[in-house]
Amino acid sequence: MFEVRDDEPSYAFIPNVDTPQKNQWGKDINLVDEDDLLAGKSLNINGDSRVGNNPNRYKQHGFHFTADNCIGCHACEAACSEKNDLPAHISFRSVGYVEGGSYPAYRRLNISMACNHCDDPVCLKGCPTRAYTKFAEYGAVLQDPDICFGCGYCTWVCPYNAPQLDPVKGQVSKCNMCVDRLEVGLKPACAAACLGGALDFGIIESTPENRDQAKIQIPGFPSPDITNPNIRFQQVKNLPRDMARTDTTPVRYQRDEQGQGDYKVKATLKKQPRQWGFEKLRSREDPLVIFTLVTQGVVGAFLLLFLGPMFGLEVLSAEAHPATRASLLFGLLGLQIFALVLSTMHLGKPHRFYRAFNNLRYSPVSREVAAVAIFFNLMVVYSLLDSFPDLLAWLWQGAPALLKAVCGWGAVVFGPLAIYAMHNIYRIKARPFWNHWQVLTSFFGSVLTLGALSVGVVYATVLTAQQQGFASLMQLMSLLVVLGLMLEAVGLMAHARYLERTDGEAAASMQEQRTRFGKTYTTRNILLGVNAIAVLVFAALALEGIVALFVWAIISASIMMTALAGRALFYVLVVPTTMPGAFFWKNQGFQEHARQTGLAKMPQVGVLPEVEYPDLQKQRAIRELKDEWQKLRARGVKTAIRNRWRAVFAKA
Amino acid sequence: MLFGRAKKNPIKLPQHEVKDWVYTTCGYCSTGCSIEVGVDKNGNGVSARGVSGADVNRGKLCLKGIFEHELFTSANRGSVPLLRDKIFEPYQEATWDVAFDRTASEIHRIQETYGRDSFAIVSTGQILTEEFYTLGKLARGVIGTNNYDGNTTLCMASAVSGYKRSFGSDGPPGCYDDFEHTDCLLAFGSNLPEQHPIIYWRLKQALEKRKFPVIVVDPRVTMFAQMADMHLPVTPGTDLVLLNSLAHVILDEGLEDRAYIGANTNGAQEYEQLVAQYDPVSASKVCGIDEDTIRNVARLYANSGAAMSIWTMGINQSTHGSDGVVAINNLNLITGNIGKPGGTSLSITGQCNAMGTREWSSCSGLPGYRVLEKEQDRSDIAEFWGIDPEFFPKQRGLFQTDIFPAIETGQIKGLWIVATNPMTSMANTARIRKTLEKLEFMVVQDAYSDVETTEYAHVYFPAAIWAEKEGVMTNTERRVNLVRNVLKPYKESKSDLWIFSQMAKRFENGKKIKFPETASQVFDEMRQLSSGRFLDISGMTYEKIETNRGIQWPMKADSEHGIPRLYSDGKFNYDDGKAKLIPLPFVDNNERPDEEYPFWLNSGRVVEHFHTRTRTGKIGNLNKFSPTPYMEMNPDAAYALGVEHMMYARLVSRRGDAVVLVQLTHRVAPNMVFIPFHFHECVNRLSLGLLDPHSRQPAFKQCAVRIESITEQEAAAVVNNAARTY
Repeated sequence: MFEVRDDEPSYAFIPNVDTPQKNQWGKDINLVDEDDLLAGKSLNINGDSRVGNNPNRYKQHGFHFTADNCIGCHACEAACSEKNDLPAHISFRSVGYVEGGSYPAYRRLNISMACNHCDDPVCLKGCPTRAYTKFAEYGAVLQDPDICFGCGYCTWVCPYNAPQLDPVKGQVSKCNMCVDRLEVGLKPACAAACLGGALDFGIIESTPENRDQAKIQIPGFPSPDITNPNIRFQQVKNLPRDMARTDTTPVRYQRDEQGQGDYKVKATLKKQPRQWGFEKLRSREDPLVIFTLVTQGVVGAFLLLFLGPMFGLEVLSAEAHPATRASLLFGLLGLQIFALVLSTMHLGKPHRFYRAFNNLRYSPVSREVAAVAIFFNLMVVYSLLDSFPDLLAWLWQGAPALLKAVCGWGAVVFGPLAIYAMHNIYRIKARPFWNHWQVLTSFFGSVLTLGALSVGVVYATVLTAQQQGFASLMQLMSLLVVLGLMLEAVGLMAHARYLERTDGEAAASMQEQRTRFGKTYTTRNILLGVNAIAVLVFAALALEGIVALFVWAIISASIMMTALAGRALFYVLVVPTTMPGAFFWKNQGFQEHARQTGLAKMPQVGVLPEVEYPDLQKQRAIRELKDEWQKLRARGVKTAIRNRWRAVFAKA
Repeated sequence: MLFGRAKKNPIKLPQHEVKDWVYTTCGYCSTGCSIEVGVDKNGNGVSARGVSGADVNRGKLCLKGIFEHELFTSANRGSVPLLRDKIFEPYQEATWDVAFDRTASEIHRIQETYGRDSFAIVSTGQILTEEFYTLGKLARGVIGTNNYDGNTTLCMASAVSGYKRSFGSDGPPGCYDDFEHTDCLLAFGSNLPEQHPIIYWRLKQALEKRKFPVIVVDPRVTMFAQMADMHLPVTPGTDLVLLNSLAHVILDEGLEDRAYIGANTNGAQEYEQLVAQYDPVSASKVCGIDEDTIRNVARLYANSGAAMSIWTMGINQSTHGSDGVVAINNLNLITGNIGKPGGTSLSITGQCNAMGTREWSSCSGLPGYRVLEKEQDRSDIAEFWGIDPEFFPKQRGLFQTDIFPAIETGQIKGLWIVATNPMTSMANTARIRKTLEKLEFMVVQDAYSDVETTEYAHVYFPAAIWAEKEGVMTNTERRVNLVRNVLKPYKESKSDLWIFSQMAKRFENGKKIKFPETASQVFDEMRQLSSGRFLDISGMTYEKIETNRGIQWPMKADSEHGIPRLYSDGKFNYDDGKAKLIPLPFVDNNERPDEEYPFWLNSGRVVEHFHTRTRTGKIGNLNKFSPTPYMEMNPDAAYALGVEHMMYARLVSRRGDAVVLVQLTHRVAPNMVFIPFHFHECVNRLSLGLLDPHSRQPAFKQCAVRIESITEQEAAAVVNNAARTY
């Protein structure tokens, strides 16, 4: 139990007050009844099996923030970091600000924000490893770093920047509501440390003493509709109509023309010149650029190889070109393995990859990984049986054929399902740039384009080598390629209109798309059209021979480059719905600056130098893998594997 | 468990394995918060928390205090004494004896060659009061130099001078409890939320209980200005005009406390004649505050039952800092607001023990608010120490800000620097560099071996920090509080007390005077010397101080508690017991913006840093909030010059230039920029630091600069980074 001092100041205790039954979204504040099975259990904090004496243990708790009063003194952040032993580059709570007006009628609104222990915890739902739990005790949403494998998906879906991905440790950690303090009736360390009379804590919807409001919106705070957060605000002092951010996130907050109503998110007014933005095109998500494109191409190619012969494309059949077909199948599998390894190594803790399936019920990541895994395994069996028909000849007659058919059809179902699940990952409310059906058309467009292109070019090469014609095959493939490109183009056009219409972070992304990456964006769009026309024209010409093959290769390269650029843009253009930063802390612009100039080399700057990321990650992964292996050996490999499977079955 | 997983996993939370909580007092600013340091079973400081029963901070700490235990292990602590013959040679490690012998022989040589006063000592506001007293004994009684001062000349000298001029003695008359009683608070050049967050919290707590008007005078829209009921964006350097005009309105409209003026002050007539010239119409043209506002504030202040004024560097660090303080005192004297609950002049002090150095270091005279100019004081101390009174000079020597020019022109040849960093903290860095390189010998005594001043030193003494030793400190409200020894000094570093005592042994007088070994023995000497005096601490013992979580002086030997307010009886420290109302004509001697240098340059503190960052610059969870210097600049002004947000700009003054990262914000006026003063090779490359005629405090906050946009941003970043070793 947390130590309560004999003379603990009264402000540190959570007031025991009456609250309404329901919160502002109509949910019960009382999370479970006293006679519920969940009630009366210990939280087992650090091995302490006692049950806390907080009388309101089963009520949803939350922060109350009087934004008018916050002076930005960082005491809350410091108290939190001190209690949780956080290194400088991580913080569970951060103070940022928005500002407006002109001298001396200037106002700065500081906002201190941590986890809001939401009614709808999108982090919990998104997490593939089930590292998150929403407890009946206080409604606290806690995350267990020992379960987390560091994919960072929770950091994508949370609009408050609550989960903190630590690239050094390769795992996420976050605000734990100081449940150890709550158990003994104390407010969390941050609220007890507040010096401005701003941050407070209590049962949700209970307005603190001397406060009149329990609002769910202030300028700078994301729409509460995304997660139904458990934070309430007081903000009564008048603010200028326009509130700007000091960090480089290109959004601002504005009231309507009459200065009435809630503040709406708008793109910043500052226009930048149109640039290529090549140096910013690469990001931490580069492995995902490769992974998504490869998986989509592999699914497309497999569909063609499996379904093609059935629909009369004899040339693709095993009978027509057994070696080519087999090579292509195994080539695709090799490519897929490479992409899977790449995306796994992109995790903070690659050796925990198997935990990706833990949250099939909620997490789109789990579902995608599961669907891709199933597709891949079915394709492996299918490819083996297809390429080595005698492999299972020792089974009863008809069995190999049946198995092959089942695997083939299974892969045909799970391939597109995997792509659909993959698209779902990006349909995130807190990332309006992604939250559009264009993701679906883009992903399935790539299935068609890349699938048809790879099959077409491989077969064309083989046919040319065998002095046979490939024009008719390429004509058919070209139709699919162009269909894919058109699907993508239609999606992109609708997406552009959506971005302009939607305003807020979406419009900010659009602005970035037109300015910082303006030349790349336009070139990609033009290339998309040029590629489609080139494919159509060249297919119509129906040329054969080595020169024609060479031209096809050039067109393919152009299509692939366009796809790569497009997918890279997809990741870097996201302007997440998130909390405003300060000038240095939580300012992406400063972080980039510190890395570029070498300031980040001093650990006390609180910015990790990027150059060391991959090294750190590699070293850590190797060290941890060794540790795991040692542990495994200590326990006995067989027992460990047996236990692991038992656990999997038990879960199922 | 509501959802997430069917079976609840045990929760793991980080935990500090604290075995003991040791009582001590924060070593950063002068708020004087009581801190408990958590010590684990291996004797490491692993946590810190505010002491709940302490009246000052009532369980709270600001972010610096919250991470204060990390100081014990922070980077680049000095571990052994270092020596070198020439400043261009590398340092060699040495034993303490060798370092002491070398230093003592250099002091002897310089004093014998150039005279006793050619060796100067510049101390600090950072060490413990017992150490200050001992240093004073060493400087005044043993080494015998009259050029001995503290860096408090850079921060509180104007308050000291102003208090002395008005009341006949130093000593802030008010206390934090005044917030609970006041009906109006007027703050000059004080940004409490950033400089003294805990004092701001005390004020905020008082306001939550009982609303009263808060008026903030500051050229910048600080958080305090935003939180205030009225913000008066005064023209830099013109507070005196505003204050005179406030007094003008009060006297003109008959709102003054005639009875109090008559009974307790001298000089009312001359004063009234002077302020008669400062009518609000004329004043508004100078100070930039309109006449209606001046009248409104004056009436509000005078008509309040109790009204108080607080101020910090906005007043102290200006060419008329001492006058500003006197003007505030005048305002409170004519409204009868001295020494009564909620009615006071309260300077908000800067360094943790700036008060301790004022009281006991002998910098400006002799211990216990004694002065060299009084024969009685000289003979009392000489007798107590057991030396010849003629050893003492009969007049105070140079202030810190005059010691450096005396080095520049060769009157001073040797310097001992104790826990201060003039390379970063003093105005006009280029001149300071040129000055320091002229020294024949300099010893730097500091907890950090990378303190920038070591660049020009010959000997470096590694000192212990804060709770690696024991002793007392006095805070803003005269509260003497105890620093208990939490940990042993780092490696070979030693307490300042030990260093001073060891040095004393190497001088003739040092063999005559007793230098007690323990801090509590030194404290006993101070108690004896304070008995019956204004700053009487004879009733205090370490145990009583700890039990009470600090005691405010005066506390007589037979008393059970300290006294919260001074002058409550209307008796001041001038011989006739009356305070002085002093006429203060305003002379505009500032370097004002002109065509060539069109911007005011203002400087100040940020909450996450302390002084020259030798401590806070090494603690990531503080430093990350401003890891590199920046300049607040008005976006309209920046637009005209092509200066952009998050880009570097170049500032040029008549002294030099600086490269700094730009933060565009309407917090500052279009003709003003603000730069935090904490950073090496930044704002003080530009500052002028004209000296106040009374306090000799530099006007850090007012000078003129020109701003240029930089096309070579990468080169600018290199220039900036080169100055950041922490």
